[in-house]
Amino acid sequence: MSTIPFQQAKLVELYCLEPVFFASRELSDTYYTEGVIGNYALTYALGRVNSPYRLQGEATGRPTYKEDFQPIAQDFYILPASPIGRVTFRFERFNALSDAYWYAMTNNRVATAREDLPLQRQGKKPSSFRPSNFPQTGRLRMIERRNKFQTLVFGNHQLPNYIRLGKFMSKVKVNVLNEFPVTLLPEGEYQSQHYLNAADLPQQIETLAFDLISIPPAPIIKNLRFRGAAWQVGQMIVPAGLHFCGRENSNE
Amino acid sequence: MSIQKLSSVIATIYENFPKGRFITLVVLRTTHSETIFRTEGSGEPMCSEFVQAGLEGENQKTIIQRLVMTKRKQVAPERRYGREHLRAHELLYTNIKDGSLCSLNTNAPCEMCTDCFLYGFAAGGGGAQKSRIWTEDAFSILPASDVVGDRTINAIYETGTMRDEKGNPSTALNTSEYIKPGVHFLDVVTLKDVTADELRYIIGNILFTSRYGAVSSRVGRMENQILGVFGSITELPSSLELVQATYDVLGKPLEHPLNINQLITASKQVIANWQNKRGVSVHLSEAEVTNLLTDVETNWSEAERDNFLKRLSQSYEPFRQVATEKKKAKAKGKNTLVEVES
Ligand SMILES: [Zn+2]
Repeated sequence: MSTIPFQQAKLVELYCLEPVFFASRELSDTYYTEGVIGNYALTYALGRVNSPYRLQGEATGRPTYKEDFQPIAQDFYILPASPIGRVTFRFERFNALSDAYWYAMTNNRVATAREDLPLQRQGKKPSSFRPSNFPQTGRLRMIERRNKFQTLVFGNHQLPNYIRLGKFMSKVKVNVLNEFPVTLLPEGEYQSQHYLNAADLPQQIETLAFDLISIPPAPIIKNLRFRGAAWQVGQMIVPAGLHFCGRENSNE
Repeated sequence: MSIQKLSSVIATIYENFPKGRFITLVVLRTTHSETIFRTEGSGEPMCSEFVQAGLEGENQKTIIQRLVMTKRKQVAPERRYGREHLRAHELLYTNIKDGSLCSLNTNAPCEMCTDCFLYGFAAGGGGAQKSRIWTEDAFSILPASDVVGDRTINAIYETGTMRDEKGNPSTALNTSEYIKPGVHFLDVVTLKDVTADELRYIIGNILFTSRYGAVSSRVGRMENQILGVFGSITELPSSLELVQATYDVLGKPLEHPLNINQLITASKQVIANWQNKRGVSVHLSEAEVTNLLTDVETNWSEAERDNFLKRLSQSYEPFRQVATEKKKAKAKGKNTLVEVES
């Protein structure tokens, strides 16, 4: 790792103007957001990558990170955003409503075919009363409004003032706090303060210790101690050679 | 025609990939009757949040509790309004799953109607469409304590008394909170890559929807006004920032009910600065906004509505074609019909 693909990096603060929801975990009817914002979500949100309005066929069952990020990976990289201070959460109940005058909540499904009601009362199961395979009611744990996160954006890019994040397209303000040159530190033992995407770590480093936040699509690593080359950005240190899906590629 | 002034940010036809065309509507929402916005069940307090009163000076340090009209509380009734007309003009499609007519939240969107194309859907296995209408939580100008009232509910029997025919007293005695009439919410609605007819459809839904929140025949009346329309290549400030900046301009002391004309003047003063924001290319003047709204009302009028809604629905026709069409397009060397339904 003798060359650095990025001359500079921006330290960016993300300010949640609205509660942010990602389905990180599910426990019974509650859907939990973790206190972190994944860097893949940020890459789409910043508009670096185009994702279609309508997903169809294969795209609905399988994300296309590798295909999407490969064309931009040479001059753009972003870290997962870590909270500034402690993250606060809020809970909200959600309830699907129908646009029919008559409806009933059945097996986690909103039924609207009133004419099926007598059948259902006879113990039969008309299709409109069968369970739904996606949730119609439950609780959401969301990142509360006014939480702040920070991340590093590698490469020389103008960033939008606002982005949208999560399932409900929540508005988030983007503040560029500082800009630093990226310098290469020689092989050694380092500690990184930033959140890192496990799938993006370079193959060359040796990981000594870390904490893991298990979220889709790839686990987030924090408090990483590693041996290898490093990039220094201001006072911050991260492993050298971070790259979208870097770990996966080298496994192939 | 002021819609032409927006042409740089208007799509000529629905396309599947985003193109950085933003239209921002600044909406003033005013309650006209008692209204109820809650995130939890009945008996819970009104939806509210502690936020900075304003953006400058003392207002920046002062924290007040404002009422919140959540984004989902806005979009659900507006969407239903449009759907009522799609249904009336037979422009909802049947879904392939169980052959029933397109319906909200029943796990069987038709994936073909105007509502599905614009507001989006997430289906179990078939596909998903992202919404191109991005709403935001809207905030009241005044603190919740000024604009929330308390009501004691007596459940009166048919006899008109608190005792039933056997003489038992009613146990249904309760107090519940409500938002007073004349309360103002300021709101920013962002539209992404919409066509002229889609814009007319969305503005119509916002202007003509008159009830929000917990609905009964007596509560939830609300009037919406469009205060500003912008075209840009980026997003503009948030609803919260708009409310805070307007609060700064209004000065103190503020009391409920606010004078609506003063409020409109103050908001317009705030958004006039937005035309200098990075990425803003169009800011419709007052006359142009009026023109646009007349255009919307004409298209939604009794005489034009059928024509308008059918023309809009027809615009999605290329994306409703079946697979044989796709092959033909491929044979000609252009693969334009990627959004083919399967
Ligand atoms: Zn539909």
